[in-house]
Amino acid sequence: MIRVQEAPFDSGVEQQAMLAGRTDIGAVVSFTGLVRDFNERPEVRALTLEHYPGMTESSLSDIVEQAESRWSLDGVCVIHRIGRLAPGDPIVLVVVASAHRRAAFEACEFIMDYLKTRAPFWKKEHASDGDYWVAERESDHRDAHRWGTC
Amino acid sequence: MALTHLNARGEAHMVDVGDKPESRREASASGVIRMHPATLALLADGGLPKGDVLATARIAGIQAAKRTHELIPLCHSLALSKVTIEFQLDSARSSVEVTATCRLNGRTGVEMEALTAVSVACLTLYDMCKAVDKSMEIGEIHLNSKTGGKSGDYQRLETGAPIVTGECAAGEVSLGTRCDAISPCIRVKCLAELRERLGVGELSVPLASLARADVAGLKEALKEQDPRFAKLDEGRVLCAVNQVMASDTTPITDEDEVAFFPPVTGG
Repeated sequence: MIRVQEAPFDSGVEQQAMLAGRTDIGAVVSFTGLVRDFNERPEVRALTLEHYPGMTESSLSDIVEQAESRWSLDGVCVIHRIGRLAPGDPIVLVVVASAHRRAAFEACEFIMDYLKTRAPFWKKEHASDGDYWVAERESDHRDAHRWGTC
Repeated sequence: MALTHLNARGEAHMVDVGDKPESRREASASGVIRMHPATLALLADGGLPKGDVLATARIAGIQAAKRTHELIPLCHSLALSKVTIEFQLDSARSSVEVTATCRLNGRTGVEMEALTAVSVACLTLYDMCKAVDKSMEIGEIHLNSKTGGKSGDYQRLETGAPIVTGECAAGEVSLGTRCDAISPCIRVKCLAELRERLGVGELSVPLASLARADVAGLKEALKEQDPRFAKLDEGRVLCAVNQVMASDTTPITDEDEVAFFPPVTGG
């Protein structure tokens, strides 16, 4: 399940929905990304997330499909928020369910690493001394490269 | 919520602020004056008959902030500690954005001062330029933010800011020709930081203007059309054709959607 939305999400509700009626799932890993109050500059007051509608959804689907081809998964949920967010707000959710923990841990990390470098989202941060567009990070590319093809 | 400028009988009255504690207060407001591109060029070059337009409008804005209480009936007269007026010339929108910031340590807010400063600075810009352009239009005057005081901080939600990139208000794109039904055309989008750097969100390019029907050919045609597009070669700029990642050699045909954007930073 993939959603791009302005509204907040509840990771507990999403996880329960994935597990409802299932007894074959042995592991579920949930990752929530939050807005920090510091980044390239201190005192980040808010950020605005832009995206490229259409391509966003298709690139997230593609990332999930790649994860499903690498690991045996019983459920994947990716929710990414857009619009204006404040420090502490949840920004992204990845929930992965599998029969065994290793697959769930790895697939969750894989999806986040690929999302960071491939999904068309852009952050503009509103700090106390002005607005700026967040620059890409070399470390994100290194993280994505760990999984081989890139 | 009650209106503080009305008393129990619904009559206008001035709020007694004598018992309010002093606090540091700041407010920022902005507005826009749109004009003919030729007027904006004259303004930028200092070629207008009345002289230095921006310096005059700045002084007018500062004076107006100080005299707000004379204009707005129930405003208190305030000893402002600081007033700044800034101008942003936007050639893509053919407009000047005026931002005023007012500050004081006191018992009442300074948002009316900031709004008055912006309004009068815009009016002064009109007065200084009207000899060459009478069609200028003043608009979008609003409070951006306010800090200090009992009612708490306020930050204007940027509802106008696109969270869906590649879509901009009608008339925002001054470049290129619109696609018509007859001649083949490519729809080009510039997203996020690149859109702001270029001042262009969306435009159409006739397929016939491309020497080669691929992404590299499109870039050349764009640069030919407007030198600003040289920025497509600066830093890392990514490209997608019909929402699939593409390279310089990706072919392009009629009705294709080509998006240029900076490296992604989601998650």
